This record gives sequence, structure tokens and C-alpha cells, in this order.
Amino acid sequence: MSVATASGYLESLLQGRRQLQASPLAWFDRLRADAVERVGAQRVPTTRNEEWRFTDISPLIKLPFQPVYTASNLQAAEVEHFYLDPAAPRLVFVDGVYAPQLSTQLLNPATDSNVVITNLSAAISAHVMVLEPHLGRYAEFHNNVFTALNTAFLHDGALIIVPRNVSVDMPVHLLFIATQKEATSYPRCLLIAESGSAVTVIEDHVALQEGVYVTNAVAEIALADNARVNHIRVQRDSSQAFHIASCAVSLAQASCYQSTSITLGARISRYNLNVRLTGEGAECTVDGLTLIAERQLADTHTCIDHVKPYGISRQSHKCIVDGAAHAVFNGKIIVHPDAQHTDSTQSSRNLLLSGRAHIDTKPQLEIFADDVKCAHGATVGQLDSEEIFYLMSRGLSEMTARNLLTYAFGAEIIERIPIVSLKHRLEQTVLERTQRN
Amino acid sequence: MIYQNSKPLLEVRGLRATVNGIEILKGIDLTVRSGEVHAIMGTNGSGKSTFAKVLAGHAAYVVTGGTVAFEGKNLFELAPEERARAGVFLAFQYPIEIPGVANNQFLRLTYNTVQAQRGKDELDPLEFDDFVREKMKLLEMSPDFLDRSVNAGFSGGEKKRNEILQMALLEPLLAILDETDSGLDIDALRIVANGVNQLATKDNAIILVTHYQRLLNYIVPDYVHVMESGRIIKTGGKQLALDLETHGYDWVSIEQRAAAGV
Amino acid sequence: MSAVLQNLVNQPYKHGFVTEIESDVAPKGLNEGTIRLISAKKNEPEWLLEFRLKAYQKWLTMEAPQWPNIKYPKIDFQAISYYSAPKPRKKLGSMDEVDPELLRTFEKLGVPMHERAVLAGVAVDVIFDSVSVATTYKQKLAEVGIIFGSISEAVHTHPDLVRQYLGTVVPIGDNYYAALNSAVFTDGSFCFIPKGVKCPMDLSTYFRINTQESGQFERTLIIAEEGASVSYLEGCTAPRFDTNQLHAAVVELIAHDNADIKYSTVQNWYAGDENGIGGIFNFVTKRGLAKGVNSRISWTQVETGSAITWKYPSCVLQGDNSVGEFYSVAVTNNYQQADTGTKMIHLGKNTRSTIVSKGISAGHSNNSYRGLVRIAPTAAGARNYSQCDSMLIGDQCSASTFPYIQVRNNSAIVEHEASTSKIGEDQLFYFAQRGISNEEAVSMIINGFCKDVFQQLPMEFAVEATKLLGFKLEGSVG
Repeated sequence: MSVATASGYLESLLQGRRQLQASPLAWFDRLRADAVERVGAQRVPTTRNEEWRFTDISPLIKLPFQPVYTASNLQAAEVEHFYLDPAAPRLVFVDGVYAPQLSTQLLNPATDSNVVITNLSAAISAHVMVLEPHLGRYAEFHNNVFTALNTAFLHDGALIIVPRNVSVDMPVHLLFIATQKEATSYPRCLLIAESGSAVTVIEDHVALQEGVYVTNAVAEIALADNARVNHIRVQRDSSQAFHIASCAVSLAQASCYQSTSITLGARISRYNLNVRLTGEGAECTVDGLTLIAERQLADTHTCIDHVKPYGISRQSHKCIVDGAAHAVFNGKIIVHPDAQHTDSTQSSRNLLLSGRAHIDTKPQLEIFADDVKCAHGATVGQLDSEEIFYLMSRGLSEMTARNLLTYAFGAEIIERIPIVSLKHRLEQTVLERTQRN
Repeated sequence: MIYQNSKPLLEVRGLRATVNGIEILKGIDLTVRSGEVHAIMGTNGSGKSTFAKVLAGHAAYVVTGGTVAFEGKNLFELAPEERARAGVFLAFQYPIEIPGVANNQFLRLTYNTVQAQRGKDELDPLEFDDFVREKMKLLEMSPDFLDRSVNAGFSGGEKKRNEILQMALLEPLLAILDETDSGLDIDALRIVANGVNQLATKDNAIILVTHYQRLLNYIVPDYVHVMESGRIIKTGGKQLALDLETHGYDWVSIEQRAAAGV
Repeated sequence: MSAVLQNLVNQPYKHGFVTEIESDVAPKGLNEGTIRLISAKKNEPEWLLEFRLKAYQKWLTMEAPQWPNIKYPKIDFQAISYYSAPKPRKKLGSMDEVDPELLRTFEKLGVPMHERAVLAGVAVDVIFDSVSVATTYKQKLAEVGIIFGSISEAVHTHPDLVRQYLGTVVPIGDNYYAALNSAVFTDGSFCFIPKGVKCPMDLSTYFRINTQESGQFERTLIIAEEGASVSYLEGCTAPRFDTNQLHAAVVELIAHDNADIKYSTVQNWYAGDENGIGGIFNFVTKRGLAKGVNSRISWTQVETGSAITWKYPSCVLQGDNSVGEFYSVAVTNNYQQADTGTKMIHLGKNTRSTIVSKGISAGHSNNSYRGLVRIAPTAAGARNYSQCDSMLIGDQCSASTFPYIQVRNNSAIVEHEASTSKIGEDQLFYFAQRGISNEEAVSMIINGFCKDVFQQLPMEFAVEATKLLGFKLEGSVG
């Protein structure tokens, strides 16, 4: 089987669908069939495509890995160091396959009785009325071949439904563990936050060992009016892996979405985050930290789309780039003609720790309304020599001063994570990766 | 709270208003007495926010009929700033941002303007600083709010708290809170509601304009009015809000239509 | 735009009167003869005539720039008179010999030509149409070695200095209007601060265009030697005519090691009427060379006048650790057009620049910020911070921002921030609902918006600038 060409790559990937079972739900099968068709109609993007200008993913087409369909017998003892402390409701997927023996629905029965935290295939029949208007409706796959692939392979995933006016006290941990080399996994998440509800979700991609594998993840998040979602995403895949992901968020009136995305792993990664403020007075905070080294490439594309008036968006994206690594940030903000009184700020701050590291940052503002407040800022550079000097003048060695400032640069984003155990773990990672001696 | 023999503060009779030539308010009647808390509930587009803006005097809304008396005087004879100085306060659904103008300057100017109107002493910057910090504790606000530009870069929740802080400073006779709860998380809602409750006295009155019953768990209304298509179609006690939450707005309109024999 | 806003932003132009004074005006038209005539009237040395003729030849080969975001009819350079001076012009021994009509004119404009004047502590050079008519405090400045006066005079009294620096920062062929100015400039100020001298008072030039058909082409040259420092102010007004007058000036600043030049402008040329008839076409080239180590060039401008403004006060940061600053408020109303900004050219190591630009557009006006930050490969450790804010008043006006950033050294840190905001009905209603009147609200918003720039102006100018904007300052606003 030749996979030297990009189209041959997509074809051979799709062959893995043979093991997928037909669904009793006609709309579900139709969604997947549409996605297969869209995979066929598209090509793997090259750097000639403006959306992929800085990210060459051609190495990927040499890796037509098939998905895993067999359940893992991984035991808790092998993975519990990834768990949150204190324990929280948790859905675990191993190489993309649901692992019930590792998952727990630990909820407070008094307040959370109607909250749904489960795997999609188990729940699809029971919640079909709720799911049909949401599943596959936000993650656009007509012009995104990777989302189309993920949708073509859709059969399971994480499902969270928070009913009207319910606040889930504990964070929900979605843990995606890669264990096998030369496999592709297609993680999928759907979060439906009904009117006035509130929930915190951690989408956590980890690897049990180093190895070459491919993750192609899609998440969809729908916030009804006045709902609040705090979405923390941590990508700590193997440094040889490929991680392609997209997340589509839809915000109704007066809802509030907070996102913190931490990118640490993968040889090549690409994260598309699309946030649409479709209701009046919706608010989002979109923060990100990319911390990469050696020959890693991490590309973050965000699009914040203000459709209705009085929307608020706050974005702060930071990259710390070491070795010969390459970080890309493309932050698009669209303000539609109807979205008067939009208030949007964006900042892209980047720190280069070596002469070979590089960064491409591209803030992109498309404003079609006249009564808006939009501010954006971008910086690329090294540590501030005056700050270093100040610390040295207080007796610190230059190395210590540099370490302190680099750590502080990254920690500012990590600090926004409300789960103490996860925050500490990430702080430790930032510390390890940024300190010199 | 309903007090015996308290005097009417606001009397609205047959109020009609248009915006861009379209009639939004189609005859509103409402009496608010000192000490009372009224909730006006309704779906989007029912006219409840328009009602709030008409009372405050926004130029885009044209009054086409009816009367509004505030402390017995014709409210429509007053310019928006005169209404504010007379004691009508609107907490905005979407507070405006003013980059470059520090919050403490703005707060002091508005406070002193209203104080002067009431024949009371104005505060100098130092005195005001102490005064405002005390009020901020009520809303659990951090003092660095004072140095930031008015609402600029604030989150939705911070803007709402800043509105209630202004209410605390200006001590209005009539406070109209327009969707103050929307976009607030539970903790912020509790803090804001607690602030409002502490400001309620037997001499002032509060009108809560809201879509959701949730706020009314914290600020308990004496009266609940349901608005639809520019009219108040039902009035009841706090139980009405709970019924609405259970049955939805359609329930009231169906019931009203049935009662009206439509 | 609501009537309230309309009234608030439309303030009458207070300097639109014409002085009845007999002037010596050269015939209209531009050719070599015109240039020789100007040079002869000023009794200039041969090298300066050559400088002019070379510039003229260069200008003939150039074309007016098309890239600015402004529209205007083609200028007929043959319909302009290139020399106009009040008569009789004899050499003045003291202020008492200045034509009383001129004294009254400047009194009316609030410019002190008496050394005992209200604005004591500021030395003023007064330029009326094409010539300098008076300079105050000359003697006092001379005592510390400062040379301050008209450039035509300096050509005679300090020819070596003028010859050494003229055209070194803005070369004669730099751009179309700079070439024209180099050919026909008539007068302007010259200022030389010797080594180690901190200028004891602010220096100021007041420019007045009076004649309907003359252009004004002034040339200013300021040199601060090692360790010297000076704060220089420039003001300008013109009468109200229904035709457009051309103003094409060149300003050159040179700062040697550890020297510091601060140049502030309040530009209030006649802007045309509410229908866009008349007004000055203001095409100006201003550039400072931060030549020495640790030198600093700072531009502050408040641009309220002119039908068209085309102006980019720039800094060439050549010395290591040199600093460039640009603080600007540009206000446009009615049919005014402004395309203004700055260039920061970083050549030396650890050079730093700051750009703060505030554009306010009202009426049907069009206000653009255009700025270039260039970090050369040699500029290791260079830093730039730019902030460009636009404010729209009403909904018929427009604002654009064109930041150009060229970084050729990876140790540089370049920051850019931009924002757009608006004063409309909703903003005013918010203030009114807190008991604050529309007038106070607009004043508070505008002053808050411009605060960062006004803080940079010398005291007297800051007061004038706020008055100029036509908004009264509420006591509580800082």
C-alpha cells in the first residue's frame, strides 16, 4: 500500500472505518456519511494554504495509522498519577476507547441528580432528543479535513449534559491516555450546558510512554443562556506524537465561557479553537500557554466570532519557545455588523529562550461594526533586560533572575486553573522546562 | 417590604413609548410605594428593558402616551441628568466603558453632583476615598477598581458590581436594576443581591427587571409583574415567579388569554 | 450625530481675521528666477542659492505622494506667491520698532512680543508670512551661548553652523514637499544650544499666515550639542479664506551625545468651514536625528487645524541607548483630513522608542494614523512601544490605523496596541443617568482620552491645547 501521496493517505485512513458498526439512528449515520464525503472532497493542507502557512504537516501523510477498537485492560494503578486530587467525576479513554474500569461518575446525588457524565455510545439512545440538535452541529467539517475525519470515525466519546440551573461543584475530568504506538485515535467530546447551569471541565491528553502516534480530537461545547463553562485543556502528548484538534464553542445570551489551553507535548500540534458569541451579552475568556522545546512545532489558531451586540471577549495567549522549536499563534477576532458595543481585547506575548527558536504571531481583526472597543497587542522578545537587572541589583544571580522571570511569564496563565492539584503539576512542568543551571 | 400608609413614589399610568417608530410599550400601569421591591419579568422583547430606559429618559425612546409621576411630579419634564439627581437610578444591563477616565474620578464627580443637588457637602478626594472604600466592602470589590478606567476591561460581572457600587454611593429613591443578574455566577449573584438588600430601606424602592427567577431567591420581591408585548399581563406575589420558573412564560400568556376569553 | 454632540464639537475658529498691513509680495509662479529672487531679497551666500537650485531641480523630477489616505485637487504651484513680507522691513534694533499693527495682531493671538508679557519665561520668534518679525529674550539667551533667532539671520551671523547642519537630517530630495521647501523656504527659526547648556527657558516660534495667495515654507533647524537640552514650542494660525493655502515646512533636529530636544506643536491653521471650503494644506516634514549616545528626541503634537494634514514627525535613533518619543493628539472635524503619525528608525544598540497616538474624528472627517517602526540589524536590544487609539464622535466620520513594523534583529521587543472607541448617544446617556451633564461628559471623556499626551506638553501649552479642543475642563478631572 503506497501512502506517499496525500490523497492515498486519506483513503487508507478511511479504510479503518470498516470495523465501525452502523448506528440504529439514521441521523447519526447520515452525519458520518456526510463527513466521509467531505474527507473525500478535501486534501491534506499544505503551507500554500493560508490557514496552514506556518505549519508543515507533510510528515503526517507518512503515518496512516489505524484506530484501536479493542478495550484496554489498563489498571488504575498504572494511570492514577494522572487523576485529580481530590477525586472528581472522570471519564477515561485509552487510545480513544472508553475505559469504564478507570472512569467514575462520582457526583453529589443531592444536587447533581440529573447531570449526565458518561460515554456517548452508552447514552446516545437515552438522550437522543437532547443530542441530535448538538452533535456535529458546531464542529464545522466542510472545510476542515481533520474534523471531517474525526466525524467520519464518530462512534463514542465523552458526553456531559448539565441541566437547567444546576451548578456542578466538582470539576469533570476527561482523560485521554495514549498507550499504543502507530495508532490514530479520534477523541470526541460534547458538552451541553443548559440555561443557568455551571460546570468546569478538564480535557486532558496524556501519554503513558514516548512514541509516534496520532491524535485527532474534536470537542463541541454548547452554552445555553446564562450558562457558565470553564474549559481547561491540557495537551501533554508524547514528544514524538502528532496532535490535531479542534474545539467549537457556541454561546447563547449572557452565557460565559472560560478557556485555558496548555500545550506542552507533541512533535507537531495544531489546535483550532472557534468561539461563537451567538447571543447578546455573551462573554468569553480565552487564554493559552504554549511551552515547547527541541524540534517541536505548536500551532494555535483561535477565532472569536462576535455575532450579537454587547459581547465581551478577553484573550491572552503566551508562548515560551526553546531549542529549535517553532510556535504559531493566529488569533482572529470577527465583529459582525450587528455586534455593536462589542468589547474585545487580545494579547499575544512570546518569549524566545534560544536563538534558534522562532515564533509567528498574527493577530487578525475583522471589524464590521462601528461602535466597538477592540484592543490588541503583540510582543515578541526575550526577557526584559531591565527586569533582570533589577533582580540582580537585589542580589540574585543572572541565572536565577532569568529563571524566575521565565517561570513567572508562564505561571501567569497556569494560575488561572482552579484545580489545585493540576495547577501544581503544571507549575512543576513549567519550572522543569524553563530552569537553567 | 410593604409598609402601611407609605406614599406612592412612582405612578405610571397608560404609558406608551416607541423606538424607531415602533411601539414597544402599549399602556403600562404601575404604582411603586416607598419601601417596596417590585420585579418585572418577561421574555426577551417583552418591553421590560424599554420600560427601564424610558423611566431614565433615554433619547432613543419616544413617549407617545400616558403619564409618569415621581414623588407626585411629572417625570417627563426632567432631563435624564435631572432625573438622576432627583433620585432615579438605573443600573444598566450593559454599562458603558469610558477608557481614560479613572473610576474614582467618575464616582466622585457623580457623587458630588448628586450631593450638591441635595444641598449636602461635597467630599474632597481624600474624604471620598475613605467613603468609597467602605462602600466597596459591601460588594467585596478590590480597591484597585478605583484606579482602573470606568468599566474598561472589566468582565461582565465586574461591570455589574460597579453599577451597584454607584447605587450604594448615590442612595437613590428609586433604583431600577435592569438584568443585573444576567451573566453573573452564583457567588457574584449572592454578593450583588446581598449588597442590594442592605441598601433597601423603608424610604426607597427597587424595581428589578429580570428574565430569570434565580435573582428573586436572593432579593425577595413584594410584587411580581409579568410583562408581555408591552403590557403588564399579570401581577402577583413572589410565588408568581416560582410558578413562572416551573411552567414557563407561555403558561401566563395562555392563562391570560383564557381569562380574557381570547 | 445628535444636536448636542454637534454643538459641542463645533467651536468657531477664533484666529480667522486678516491683518491690514502693506506687504512686499513676490509675483506668483515658480521657476529658477523665483528662487534667485528669494535668495537675493535675503542677500544669501552663494552656497545657499546652490542648495536651493539643486533642490528645485530635484523637485522637478519628483511627483506628489499618492499613498496617503487623503484626497485633494492637484495643487497649482504657479498660482502661489513664494515670498511675502510686511513692509517696511528695516533691521530692528528692539521690540519698540516693530510695526504696531503687527504687535496688535500678535497680541490678539495671545502671543507675547513684549519681554514683560504674561507668558514671561518663554522666548518667542515670530514668523509673519515669509519672514521672522521679532525674537524676544535674544540677549538673555546669548549670555549662556544659546543662539536663537530667525534662520535668515543665522545664515549671516553663523554661516558655518547653518551650512554644517542644513539638509543633513532631511536631505533635499527626501520627499516631494521637502524638496519644494528646500528650494523656496523663506524663513524659520534657528536654535543652537552649546555643549553642556540646559536652556533656561522654553523657546517658541509662532507662525502666522496672513496673505491669501502666498504659501508658507518655513525651515527650522535645532542643534543640541553634547549634554545640552532644550524644550521648543511651535504654534500656528491663519486667517479664514475660502481658498486653500499651502504650508510645506521642514524641521530638522540634531541631538549629540547625552543631548535632549523636546519639540511641542499646537497646530491650529485654519481648517476650512463646515462645508470643507478653504483651509490650509499642511504638508510637513519633521525629523530628528538622535545622533549621539544617550540622546533623546521627543515630539509632542496637538493637531487641530488644517484642511489637510500630512505629517510624520520622526526619529532616527543612531546613537546607542538613544530615545525617541512621539505623543500626538489629532482632532478632525467637518471635512478635515489628517494622515499623520511617525517613523522610529532604530539603528543604534538598546535604542528605545515610544509612540502614543490619539485620533479624534468628528463630523465627516477622516483621521488616519500611519506609523513605521523599523529595527535595523544593528539595533540589538531595541525596544518599541506603540499605542494608537481612535475615538469616533458621531457616525459620519472615519478613523484608520496603518502600523508598519519591520524587525530585522531578533533581540528587539516591539509592542503594538490599538483601540477604537466612540462617543455617541449611549455613552452620554450613561453619564446623564449618573447626574452628569452632556458638556461635562464630553469634556471628561475627551480629556481622559488625551491625558497621556497632554501630560507631555509644557504647562502653558497644555492649557492652550485643552482650550483648543473646545471643551472646558471640569475641575475634578486630572
